[in-house]
Amino acid sequence: MSALFRKTCLYAEAAPAALAAIALFTLMVMTFMDVMLRSAFNEPIEAASELTRILMAVIVFSSLPIISARGTHIVVDLIDPLFRGIAVRIRDGVIDIIAGLLMIWPTMRCFTLAERARDFGDVTEFLNIPQFYIIYFITFFAAVTAIVLLAKGIITLFIPSLLAPPQERAETMAPAQEG
Amino acid sequence: MEAALIGFAVVLVLVLLRLPIAFAMGLVGMVGYWYETSFRGALSMVGRIIIDTAQDYGLSVIPLFILMGLFVNKGGLSRDLYRVSYDFLGHFKGGLAMATIVACGGFSAICGSSLATAATMSKVAMPQMRKYGYSDSLSTASIAAGGTLGILIPPSVILVIYGLLTETSIGKLFIAGIIPGILGVFLYLFAVRFTVLVNPKAGPAGERSSWKERLAALSGIWSVLLLFVLVIGGLYGAFNVWPIYLTFSPTEAAGMGAMGAFLIALSRGGLTLKSTYSTLVETAYTTAGLFAVLIGAWIFSNFINIAGLPEALLGFVNQAGFSPFTVMLMILAVYVVLGCVFESLSMLLLTVPIFFPLVTSLGFDPIWFGIIVVVVVEISLITPPVGLNVFVLKGVVQDVPTATIFKGVTPFWLVDLIRLALLLAFPALVLYLPQQMG
Repeated sequence: MSALFRKTCLYAEAAPAALAAIALFTLMVMTFMDVMLRSAFNEPIEAASELTRILMAVIVFSSLPIISARGTHIVVDLIDPLFRGIAVRIRDGVIDIIAGLLMIWPTMRCFTLAERARDFGDVTEFLNIPQFYIIYFITFFAAVTAIVLLAKGIITLFIPSLLAPPQERAETMAPAQEG
Repeated sequence: MEAALIGFAVVLVLVLLRLPIAFAMGLVGMVGYWYETSFRGALSMVGRIIIDTAQDYGLSVIPLFILMGLFVNKGGLSRDLYRVSYDFLGHFKGGLAMATIVACGGFSAICGSSLATAATMSKVAMPQMRKYGYSDSLSTASIAAGGTLGILIPPSVILVIYGLLTETSIGKLFIAGIIPGILGVFLYLFAVRFTVLVNPKAGPAGERSSWKERLAALSGIWSVLLLFVLVIGGLYGAFNVWPIYLTFSPTEAAGMGAMGAFLIALSRGGLTLKSTYSTLVETAYTTAGLFAVLIGAWIFSNFINIAGLPEALLGFVNQAGFSPFTVMLMILAVYVVLGCVFESLSMLLLTVPIFFPLVTSLGFDPIWFGIIVVVVVEISLITPPVGLNVFVLKGVVQDVPTATIFKGVTPFWLVDLIRLALLLAFPALVLYLPQQMG
């Protein structure tokens, strides 16, 4: 059961992960080409700036549900040793549910903003890409993140057998890059 | 004012209860903003921040610089850097530890993270130092301390975030980190010398390399040196001369760096389709984690501002009649205390929105303050009980007790304090280079 669940999760991850990877690679190549074209031919890619914005939104928001599912958000684990056994499970479950609930209002707000952008017909400067596509994208993945967090919290609390043992879930990320 | 202080306390509690920092700051920021204005006002602030942050042009430096570090490393940079440093310094007493410091400094010039620098270098340097019979305390300490340079020598993720939070020029912040970073390398070398002077057995000399070997080793890293010169030089405006007239914005510098690193790794055969993909995905995940925290921090800092904490703090300082320098020392004391328990990024995000307005209105330079904060954060990375770099190292060399590492770190910690004092006394050490940028 838990093996099947893990497999399903891995499959579910594949598409947004690939999307983020492609967006990031595109961002890298585009920025490079922009500088090259500007310096060599004085012909920068005019749309580079707005494409950068869109690609950033794609990179960040398609990754957000995945890092939420994997539990690799940046946390302070100073008093971890104080929690043992079932306390860890309850703490983690409750935290995920709180985080999931917290995502609900901003998600609804983003949806409103997307609708508004569509009504106003906001488009990007050079390519005339409708703004609301991007905001819908953000809204969609914010909603997925909320659902993932809530589901993970409920599973952690009530059906812990579904989750892989911690040692198999660890090492999903290299040492954090933040510090 | 009271609301902001209560909010601050609640964030601390929630974070300690392991709620992700992003959610803790976002929750308190939103509820606090709601308290100060209205629910609708708070909600629309949060929605705007989420949508704007996700599409921020300036923030694209973060994934690109992370990518650059990871790609270069796939090309085997850490190993080559260590070899070069060893060939030049290995024959001195304590030479391998000195080589470790220099290699860490070099790696920092590509990598923007202290934890990643320490983690990477430990895999290369630790086995060598063990082979030559270096004491555990010196070898681990030199890696932990050398690793801290990652966030000071450009590029630096922490400086990017400081720059974005405070609307300070990221390019200038990067350039400002160079001299303090090099100063850090020299002071750490001095700390190694001191350690082997006290206990010559801690770090015996290695074999002397011939000039032929040295040049051969150098040829292994020339491409990476070139990349650094291109990225940082472009940022500095060094190429803004006939016939190219090229100056990079931070995003462009990062994009050039990432692409260059990709090509270097590709040419060295360090990349397959699979490892390229996993590098990209890893970078995207790290970026998303950082952005979540940034969004939370922005929401929180909006609340702190509307609650009037910075003004209240300024009023308090004026009333008490403290001199600006006294205030600075007090702020640094707060950082040292918080640094004992807090991880670097969360400490920065929690404190900068509060202290920055105070510091600038007292007449301190925003760039100088950024570097000072980063140096203090570096110190906190090797300060017990939660010196994060020490714990990263502990993860790699599990048989060395934490206390041994902290003991070895002491001389490095002391020279860090000297460096901090120097930077406080002579702001020109920080500001000279960025002032030349115009």
